[in-house]
Amino acid sequence: MNAAGAVRVFADYDRDFREEAEVVVVGSGPGGAVVACELARAGRRVLLLEEGPPFTPEDFVLDGALSMARTMREGGLRATRGTVMPTMQAICLGGGSLVNSAICVRAPDFVLDRWCRDAELERTRRTDLDSHYDAVAEFLGIAPTPESVQGARNLLFKRGCDALGWSSEPIARNVRGCRGSGECFTGCRSRAKQSMDLSYVPAAIRAGARVLTSAQVREVRVEAGRATGVTGRVVEPLSGRAGFGFEVRAKQVVLAAGCMATPVLLQRSGGLANASGQVGENLQFHPGAAILGVFPEPTNPRFGATQGWQSLEFVRDGFKLETLWAPPGVFAVRLPGFGPDLERRLAEIPHCAVWDAIVSTDRSLGTVRARRGTLEPALRWHFHPDDVATLQQALWALARCFFAAGACKIVPGVHGLPDEMHSLAEADVLRSAPLRAADLVTASTHVFSTTRMHGDPRRGVVDELGACHDVDGLWIADTGVFPRSPGVNPMFTLMALAHRTAGAIAARL
Amino acid sequence: MLFWLVLAVSAVLAWRRLLHGYAPPPRPLARLAPREAAFLAAAAAATFPSGGAVARASGDAGIVLYVDRWLGSLPAQPRRLMRLLFAVMEQATLVFPAPGRGGRRRFSALSPTQRVAALDGWARSSLAPRRLIFASLRAIVTMGYFGDPAVMRQLRLAPLAVDTPVCEADLLWPPIGRPSSAIRWRPENLSPPSSGQPLDGDGPLHPAYAEERR
Repeated sequence: MNAAGAVRVFADYDRDFREEAEVVVVGSGPGGAVVACELARAGRRVLLLEEGPPFTPEDFVLDGALSMARTMREGGLRATRGTVMPTMQAICLGGGSLVNSAICVRAPDFVLDRWCRDAELERTRRTDLDSHYDAVAEFLGIAPTPESVQGARNLLFKRGCDALGWSSEPIARNVRGCRGSGECFTGCRSRAKQSMDLSYVPAAIRAGARVLTSAQVREVRVEAGRATGVTGRVVEPLSGRAGFGFEVRAKQVVLAAGCMATPVLLQRSGGLANASGQVGENLQFHPGAAILGVFPEPTNPRFGATQGWQSLEFVRDGFKLETLWAPPGVFAVRLPGFGPDLERRLAEIPHCAVWDAIVSTDRSLGTVRARRGTLEPALRWHFHPDDVATLQQALWALARCFFAAGACKIVPGVHGLPDEMHSLAEADVLRSAPLRAADLVTASTHVFSTTRMHGDPRRGVVDELGACHDVDGLWIADTGVFPRSPGVNPMFTLMALAHRTAGAIAARL
Repeated sequence: MLFWLVLAVSAVLAWRRLLHGYAPPPRPLARLAPREAAFLAAAAAATFPSGGAVARASGDAGIVLYVDRWLGSLPAQPRRLMRLLFAVMEQATLVFPAPGRGGRRRFSALSPTQRVAALDGWARSSLAPRRLIFASLRAIVTMGYFGDPAVMRQLRLAPLAVDTPVCEADLLWPPIGRPSSAIRWRPENLSPPSSGQPLDGDGPLHPAYAEERR
């Protein structure tokens, strides 16, 4: 079979069908793509299933809302209940890697030590994972963002951190040849971002894997306590209209559908792999909040890496600071007011920078549940007051950084506080005001722990290699396996764990 | 008898309140009903009035057309929620009236000053759900405003032209909606990967955002 014939798209299906493979992988994001590629390179017959379509550059839309409507589940409008917070899940070949900013940060030692201690793990310390991180880094060319494409809005963050004596660094990313277009969230037109559809998926195909796109898995099949395959329907790209049915039989089934989808799939498959009662529990996020700062000098914000600089100074305190850019219509949503006030703020955008904080919220937990008549999940989550306080500290740190970098004002976007703050003294209310979750505008795309790993089968869904405790031949390779927050952006750790999972599966075949 | 009379009068009043008197939109719309288009146009005009710091008024920016297109790209359930949001805000003056005479009229029927006051009430409400509804509406209108290339150009945010290399993936699948036989690239078409040459911030714009030639 030539490489081109190894991929099927929606228009290629003309009837119900059955397939067989040694390993079927459900989901082509950073977890599934790594597993599929590594197993194919190990000589295994691999079938990779993806519900979304592949996107080519001519499918990219530069407008933020229209792009999200095409690349995200629920049109990009998914939100939690309880504490209402927007969250997103991509639906495309390559998963979230197509539309994220490619940040690759290794989980800190102290986080992984805590994972091992709390989840009774034995082989998940940094020394255990570093070889897997290294393999992924080499394959993807992960490297610090070059200064030449940082742009002013990233370098001003460095200036602020330097002035305050905080550690900071260029963000390492899976990018080769970034040109600084700042368009990571709508698809990289330079093809510089090594998203899974440009890296691991083509490599898997070169090694013999087959890829079925527009293939929506609806159920995992189990016989005599062993996973034997999956069934589902072909779905039309963008509309989601269901078409032909399919069945895949395989010796090993890997679920990498994402932390918010894999639990739903297990629940819809008769409450599979849930002897521990932990499927769909422990839902965690990294709630993020951003502050916009205005500088006296132009920042020309359309140029520069989407997220080029970060500070890990406060990771032990529960938050990480980083720079941020997004399609302008998306981040302008954060600006307060309307009418002439809003237009005046919009006119200042050429002088602005946006920096954000993400918070590890170990006390803020939620659930994922299947809903009737849809594969989209019901998400319930509550932002714990202690974690709100941590986010408040993070906002105060961002305010300090902005003024240390020379900002003339900041726009914090917090209800009940002034719309604009012109000095650190004015911004002190960010530290001192009693804030509630409802006062903050937060969002999160980092989601974890809904099928967590645990050394004790009574307390977790998978073991530390990703194998389900209850069901032979069933593996999970998405961020659901994280025992808790990784403290930093999760993609790199997910890929390292998936790399390890692939090795474990190969050893069992 | 009295019951039926009250019911009939109520039905007529409800019809007048909810559906009557909306002019057809100036351009045909695929998704938005005339009442939704009228509400959005009124909300957009209050959010981005003419004469502000950005020399592009909401009507010129085509916000209603943008929202119509955006709704068409959403799955059914979020689309229904968005339409519910429009309906709630259009009619909510019954519960949260705008100041002044006739403050309980539909939002789109309020005077420009009353619309601003009504929106301000939503934005600064002590009720978090009310603020959330306002933030959702303003997000939609704002994204529509930024959907206008002229706004993007004025704010120096219009995307730059970028050369897109042909890479291995382009040999593997076609654009969305096409069969695999439509893959147009061959190995001989592969081009060198991105050079990493930083874009010129003052360089040419993406064709969709470039100023129209007259």
